[in-house]
Amino acid sequence: MSSIKQIPVVETKRTNPLARVFDDLVRFCRSRSLFILHYCTGCGAIELPPAMTSRFDMERLGIQPMVSPRQADILLITGYVSIKTLKRVILTYEQMGSPKYVIGICSCTVNGGMYWQSYATAKKLDEYMPVDLYIAGCMPRPEAVITGLQQLMDRIHSGQANSWEDYYRNYDYYLGNQQKLFGENWQTPTDVITEAKHYDLLSEGTLGDHTRLLEQHQKPLEALDMRLGHELKEPRK
Amino acid sequence: MILTLLDELLLFSGVTLLVALTIGRGLAAGWMVTILYGGQLLALTKMAALGYEGGTIASSLSFEVMGQMLNWRFDALSWFFALITLGSALLSSWFSCGAWERDYIKQGGNIWLFHTAMALNVFTMLILLASGDLLSLFIGWELVSWAGFLLMALAGGVATKAAMRYITYAMAGGMAVFGGLALVYSASGSLQLEAVITAVEQISTTKLWLLVILFGGGFGIKMGLLPFHLWQAPAYAETPGPGSAFLGAISSRMGLFAILLVLVKLFGIVNIDNLKVPFTLIDARDLLAWLAVLTIILPTFTAMKQNDARHLLAWHGIGQGGYMLLGIVVADAMGGAGGLLHVFNHATYQAALFMAVTAVIYRTGTSDLNKLGGLVVRMPLSFMVLLIGIIGLAGLPPMNGFVSKWLVYRSLLNQGMPLLFLAAVIGTLGTILSVYKLIHNIFLGQLRVEHEHVAEAPWSMMIPMLILSAIIFITGLMPGIPLEWIASVLQTVGLPVPQYTLGGVESNSGSLDMIWVIGVLFAGFGIGAVIFYSAGRSKRVHQLDNYAGGHFLSADVRYQYSDNFYAGLMHLIGGWYRGSFLWLERSITSMIEFLSLGMQGLYRRANAEFYLLSTALFVIAWAVI
Repeated sequence: MSSIKQIPVVETKRTNPLARVFDDLVRFCRSRSLFILHYCTGCGAIELPPAMTSRFDMERLGIQPMVSPRQADILLITGYVSIKTLKRVILTYEQMGSPKYVIGICSCTVNGGMYWQSYATAKKLDEYMPVDLYIAGCMPRPEAVITGLQQLMDRIHSGQANSWEDYYRNYDYYLGNQQKLFGENWQTPTDVITEAKHYDLLSEGTLGDHTRLLEQHQKPLEALDMRLGHELKEPRK
Repeated sequence: MILTLLDELLLFSGVTLLVALTIGRGLAAGWMVTILYGGQLLALTKMAALGYEGGTIASSLSFEVMGQMLNWRFDALSWFFALITLGSALLSSWFSCGAWERDYIKQGGNIWLFHTAMALNVFTMLILLASGDLLSLFIGWELVSWAGFLLMALAGGVATKAAMRYITYAMAGGMAVFGGLALVYSASGSLQLEAVITAVEQISTTKLWLLVILFGGGFGIKMGLLPFHLWQAPAYAETPGPGSAFLGAISSRMGLFAILLVLVKLFGIVNIDNLKVPFTLIDARDLLAWLAVLTIILPTFTAMKQNDARHLLAWHGIGQGGYMLLGIVVADAMGGAGGLLHVFNHATYQAALFMAVTAVIYRTGTSDLNKLGGLVVRMPLSFMVLLIGIIGLAGLPPMNGFVSKWLVYRSLLNQGMPLLFLAAVIGTLGTILSVYKLIHNIFLGQLRVEHEHVAEAPWSMMIPMLILSAIIFITGLMPGIPLEWIASVLQTVGLPVPQYTLGGVESNSGSLDMIWVIGVLFAGFGIGAVIFYSAGRSKRVHQLDNYAGGHFLSADVRYQYSDNFYAGLMHLIGGWYRGSFLWLERSITSMIEFLSLGMQGLYRRANAEFYLLSTALFVIAWAVI
């Protein structure tokens, strides 16, 4: 499902004449300061060190590696994702703060590539999470990686790179594919539906049969809040 | 007879001791003693003229023993140390009242003995601080040593062992001081301070060397100066919580007080500077400075290896004593002020730190750094107190520890002592590393399942901690407040006085104004806060919704690494931890054991009648001749 095309374009009327300028400035800044999460899945990861280091030097474009998903903007999927890895990738993707961008590098992320016949790999990445950009090749050279990143920057600047909204709008679809692969008991710590409400992105595709299935056996993690209470609380069940 | 202000203070202190002795068993006794400490502090503030203008207030108590006048009086130096003593006693005692006390009794502790020991410590310290001649100094010294032993031995078991070790060291120190007294008496014929000052000018170099070694060693033992530092950390750490806060804050500073009085005021830094070590380029003062610096570095790096929060703090207490002595030995205006200011600052943050750790022990039952973690979500106020305390201990702005350390560093640079400066900075590096370990292993990281229902410390413990935190910050912001007292102290002991302002010091070689430093710092925080709060709502996530390389975390997986905390650093410097001082201590112990065994063999072999007869003959012979 190429749901990226189906995102309805809603023109919100901005009353403030400066709002457009301000939005443009925000998008410009956002596209010039991108942090890539260090989560390398397959053989394509080997093309990243030359892209990062002095020869191709992606930091001149404002792109840097980052160690934690909470502070990262880009999730690079650099090659085939086995089913076991895909669980981790989805966990990590959901831990990232929006706006977030996914780039699929190598042919394996597009259609399974040379692992097409494998029982243990997920073939199309965009069935499980929205992908902003594919960089095809086996493997793409650093020039291609840099070009792809530059295209992502352009898309961010022009406001087109908003496929992360699609994950919230069509969460039921993505969750359904995940459940098909991982089983009915699949769950991640992140409460995507609450986040969808937080970003005001709750639409008819967010909730459905699969989210209902999730709710049936979901064990929510309780947030540890700061407590100033001076009495010992009763142990929770 | 009219009571002077000092008489009032000492009487007040004696009454406190009596109250603790007689009615110390009831639960209200703790509060009563605390109020009496407050009264003592009030009596001390009536003498505030000493701290601001100098002068002396004598006690009407004085008598003559074998031709020696014994008298007691307070001057700016005594007042300054008494202020710290009573302040820390008041807050530690306050901390011990209520919740902590009930818990202590429930665990089988003797609260009567605790309050009595505290009151006795305060009383004896005041007597020591009031000493007006060397004989009363010695009496006070011995009293303080034994009172300290009582408090340290309270907890029994390991604590008694540590206290025995302490008293062994303290007795050796006392003997050294006594030997020094005998030497002074033979040289000057009097133990009055004025007589000593004049006698020092004519004394031979060898004798002065001997005096410096005897007094420096004797007093150095109390302040944990290398190589006599081994007793201190276990003795302070094993004392019941508020007791260790009090001891850590002030007890070992009595050694520094005595050094200031005898080595600096009576002997004079100039005379010590003239004592050359034969065949080398250094003199006694350099020797003291290097001992001070080694006292900074070695215990601090030992602290880094501790796995018990109390032991870690107690080791730091030794290390920070080195900064005080270093500043005083450098003896220029900034160094002296820095050293003395560090006495005050160290008392505030060390007491706060020990209290915060005791609060954690009260709630969780352990101070083992490998068995804690993540408590910030359960005890946020204790976390704040510990954070403020460690910023002070590490000597970073905006807390008060920064000012005193800055003054010491500045004086080392001004006086052209780059190697000492470098060594002091290495000590600070060790401090920063180990206090990070402290706060990380207790408060940051993963909350353990068994601490899920821990609550914040009760208010009876929280309020003294918060008061101390406020003092740490305020004296960091306005170091001029304690510097004013220190200026009179410096004048009293004959050291140059720096030009101080409310925010720091003025100097041609670089001034410090903490009001500006902290203003700029908080402006930075302000900008950060504006960005943070204008960026929209933030979300609090569960500690198990965390990134661990993509792993799904569950409560049974520990992902906080606290054991072998600085593995990488230990890989580099681990080989230098040889335990040489422990080896030295053990070899001296076994040598004495061996000698006493030999003596035992001697008098056990022969029969008693022979000894009796020979002794009688010897006595008769001596009487006849």
